[in-house]
This record gives sequence, C-alpha cells and structure tokens, in this order.
Amino acid sequence: MYIEIFKMAWSALISSKIRSFLSILGIIIGVSTVIVVVGIGTGAKKQIEEQYKNLSATQIMVMEMKGRGAITNSKLDVDDVAVISQKVSNVSNVTAFVMGNSSVSYGKESSSFSLFGAKPNFFDITNLDLSAGVLLTEEDDESRAKVAVVGSGLVETLFGEDFDINLAVGEIISLSGTKIQIVGVLKENGGSAMGKMSYDDAIYLPYSTAEKTVLGSNAQMMIVVLMDSVDNIETGMEDITTVLRVEHKLKLSEESDFRMFDPGSMVGAAQDSANTMSLLLISVATIVLIVSGVGIMNVMFVTVAERTKEIGIAKAIGAKQEDILSQFLFESIILSIGGGVIGVVLGQIIIPILNRFDGWYVVPSIYGIVLSFTFSALVGLFFGFYPAFKASRLDPVDALRSE
Amino acid sequence: MSDSLAIKMEDVRKSYYLTNGEEIKVLRGIDLEIKKGEFVALMGESGGGKTTLLNIIGCLHPLTDGKYFLEGENIGGVRDDYTLAFIRNKKMGFIFQQFNLYSRLSALNNVSLPSVYAGIEKSVRDKRALELLDTLSILDRRNHKPTELSGGQQQRVAIARSLMNDPEILLADEPTGALDSKNGLEVMEIFKDLAKEDKTIIMVTHTSEVAKFADRIIYMRDGKIIDNDYQLKSDY
Repeated sequence: MYIEIFKMAWSALISSKIRSFLSILGIIIGVSTVIVVVGIGTGAKKQIEEQYKNLSATQIMVMEMKGRGAITNSKLDVDDVAVISQKVSNVSNVTAFVMGNSSVSYGKESSSFSLFGAKPNFFDITNLDLSAGVLLTEEDDESRAKVAVVGSGLVETLFGEDFDINLAVGEIISLSGTKIQIVGVLKENGGSAMGKMSYDDAIYLPYSTAEKTVLGSNAQMMIVVLMDSVDNIETGMEDITTVLRVEHKLKLSEESDFRMFDPGSMVGAAQDSANTMSLLLISVATIVLIVSGVGIMNVMFVTVAERTKEIGIAKAIGAKQEDILSQFLFESIILSIGGGVIGVVLGQIIIPILNRFDGWYVVPSIYGIVLSFTFSALVGLFFGFYPAFKASRLDPVDALRSE
Repeated sequence: MSDSLAIKMEDVRKSYYLTNGEEIKVLRGIDLEIKKGEFVALMGESGGGKTTLLNIIGCLHPLTDGKYFLEGENIGGVRDDYTLAFIRNKKMGFIFQQFNLYSRLSALNNVSLPSVYAGIEKSVRDKRALELLDTLSILDRRNHKPTELSGGQQQRVAIARSLMNDPEILLADEPTGALDSKNGLEVMEIFKDLAKEDKTIIMVTHTSEVAKFADRIIYMRDGKIIDNDYQLKSDY
C-alpha cells in the first residue's frame, strides 16, 4: 500500500516539474558543496601527511643560537650528542648534523643543493630510505671519506629526468671542486621537517667530511633527539635545556645559546588548521542545507494549500490521516533525496574540474557522500513533517469546501 | 432496533463555534430512520442543514450531541481516525456536485482509488474498476483524465468510484447540480437502478425534478426535520 502512496507522491511531483526542481536546487547546491568541502579537507590532510611523512612526531630539533644579543658564539657541538643521550631520560636516539648549501656538478650540469653532514644514524632518525647503494658508515665519518648519499631530486637535476636514479651509484660528482663518489641514492621523500627544504634535493656527506672539508665555518649545526614517546616531548625539551646549559656552563642570567622545536607539533598545528577550515566550510554548507530545507517546507506548504481539496476527497473516500501524512512526507523526502543524488553526482563532476586548477587538491571521499546524503534526507524528513502533519489533520469538510 | 434500518438518529445536534465563542446551531435535534435499500432525498431551504446532516451521516463531521446508529451500532461518539476512515472507505460512497475527481489521475485510477486506501492489490482493483466503468458505459474513457471528459462522464466516473468498495450506503450532495437536464436525468436513472440493487441512497437536492426519483423525501428547515415524508406538489 505504501508503494501505491509513494507512486501517488511521485506523480504529484512529476506533474509540477519546475517547482520540484526549484525546490531542490538548494539541496543540490548544499550537498555538492558539502562533498567538495569534505574533499578539500581530505586533500589538505593528505597533503600535510605527504609533506611530513618522513617526520617522526617524537623528534626534538636542537640548533645553535647565534648573533643575538650577547651571544656571539654557540657552544653547541657534536659532543652534546653524547651528553644528551647519557643525561636525558626517555631518549631513544640522538644524532647531529651540519647543514648548508653547496654547488654540485656532474659533467656540464651544475646546481645548488642542500648539503647535510650526517652521522650514520641520521637516516634512521629522519626516516629516509635507501633506493640503491649503501648508507654512510662510521668508517666514512672517521676517515673523512669523500663519499655521498644523494636525494632523488639531485639525481634528476644533474643526470636528467629520464635517468634511472639507481644507476647514479658509483658516479663521481664535483662539490665545490672536491671529487665525491655517490655510494647511495635515497627514495623520493617529498618535503622535510625544515620548511621548504627538501630531502630529495640534497646531498649527504659524512659529518666530518662536510664539517672540515666542504662547509667550514659556514656550517649550521643541529642535533636531532628522538624521544621514546610523544608524551615525553615536553619534559624532554626541559631536560635538554637543563643539561645543555650546565654543559655549556651558562650563568643564570645568560640566555641559552641554543634553541629547539618539535616538528611534531607543527604537523599537529597544520592538521588542526586544516580541520578548522573543513569544519568552517562544512558548517557553511550545513547552513545552506538547512535553508534549503526551509525552502522545501515552504514549497510543501504551498503544495498542501493547493491540494487541500484533493486531501478532502481522499479523506471522503477513506484515506486515513496516516495515508495523507505518508504521501506528503514521501513527496518531501523524494525531493530531498533526489536533490541529494543530483548533488552527489554534481560534486563528483566538480571535484576533477577543481583539481585541474593550480593549488587545488580535492580528494573525493565516501565520508562526504554519506554525510551530505544522510543530512539531505533528514532535512526532507524534518522539514516535510510539519506540512504533511498539517495536511493529515485537515478537517475533511473544510478541505472539500476549498477551491 | 430493527435490522432492516441502515441509519437511525436520535436527537442529533451539531453546533459550530465562531472565534468570538458564539454558538451556531446547525442541527437542532434530528430524529431519523432510513431503511436498508431506501432511496431518500433530503430537501429544504439553503442553510437548513441538509449538507451538514449528509456529512455527519458520512462521518466527515463529528456530531456535537445525540446518537447515530449505523447498522445498529451507535457511532456518534467515535472520534478515532482509523474507524472513521474505515467507515468512509467501506461503508459509504460519496458523490459530489462538482464530481471531485483527481485531475492528475485517469478515469480508471480515479475509480480504483478507494481500493488503494483499502489496501487491495492492483490486479483485483483494476478488474473491479473496469467492470464498474463498463456498467456505467464509460469503459472506452478509462484512460482519459477528468479534464478530457464531459460533466456527465465525470459524474459517472465519480459514481463508479463511490461503488468501488461496494458500500451499503451512497451519499450524494446535489449530484445533478453541475449537469444539464439530460445528463442529470441519466444520473438519476443510474441511482434508481442502484436503489433496486439494494443500495441505501441518501441524496441532498433542492430540485423537485430530481427529488421525485426518490422513494421518500425528507424536508428540513432551520436544522430540524419538519417532514419525514414530504409530498411534492402534483404538478411534478
């Protein structure tokens, strides 16, 4: 029997196509907006994950503080690595590296890259994986070997886009005049913990080679401390401060000659801001959906008013209040679900179009579809109920009398 | 209470209340007996309460006071929508002056609508509706919408609809009011035939030409029945 009533609802909607379409326009816009917006949110989160994927949430970076106020020379050096690993609790790994920039050339190609002087455990801590060859060893460090591990971006720049990056192992490159042999190539990584600098467009030398041979006094030194858990980051930073101040023999009145930050919190902050943005956009889309619900309610009231006589006839020939209620409720639900379906389809069409534009990264998600679709159906049910209820309670004689 | 009575009313009253609280007494104590298979015409002046009485009989209106026996059972106090809808659906068939067909539906679907609300399956419904359309000689119009039918044809569709669930009682409010005299007479002939088939027919009319087809005429004035067996003047 509900099938019959559903059919009646359908035929009533079909008989006024333009009005039906206009009344669901809001739902269509609302639903497709939710879908696009959720897609944008998902895209932003993915981008952030991508950017920080080689970053561990348990890292603390310690670096020199130079040329500020009274501090002219930072005492931060490679010996502090041992101090931190011995005196700070809950530390799982510590490494030091120096970094700078250097011009690297191969044949006639030449370009400037980031240069890291790295201890062997550097690659562990930074989650960098090898694509071919070997990583740097303790012996390389002790002997100041003229060997390097390089990022995939460097290989592409110097050897050409089509070059198989794995074949770069064994090649000799020139670093500010010094001949260096490539012993390993890293897998492609994306971003790095340090801003715009990429681990891909970089060259990695043994710590001692970089410090003494290539960079000299221009070297910027950093220590990376890996804590055993995210919960210990804060106390870890306090402990490192205490230990290093004692080690550097700083007076109470003196400022620390080093500073530190935890990249994990940067990821958190970035994700938080992405979440906030999606939430904001979803609330806007939700308002659109609610407003369109009011539109549907409006149309349903007009429909009920127009069909008052029909309601009277239906009651006179034996329709129950329940039958009338279901018919009008069906109509509003068909409208909102219909709008939902069109909106979902429209959203799926819009997303690839948006992705063609620079700076847009929209990822379609089931979550967005389910969210918007469910919501639009609820809007139809909620806003359709009152007009349908009013219709079902009309007095049959009054309804019959209306024209 | 005799079994042969279709409808019996005892002191039925109906009042409306205006927004200022004023009471308008439309029916002021109706006593009425209508036998099964009887064809009764309700006549009287405008505003005399004919249509209100018909609507109360048809359970479209609740009565304010009094007893209303339908097939021996007092339903005057029933307010439950399910029961009232059931009575309107199965026990009564309504025929209106303005036909009151659904403009979107074909003649066939209009006729079968009461069975939709009765929950009867489509094949059974359609068979019965087609039979009725055939009986009323409008089978060839089954797929036409009301706007594509003449007044007489529309009223036949409406009569077919009223008969759909095979009710005992037919209620007609000025059934010929919107028809020319030829079509009006044809509709009356149909009513006569239905009365012969033992349908109880209660018809509101203000024209003697129509009323004379009835077995009995009840005359109303000011919300009361003033004559239970009114005789038309001989020139009709």
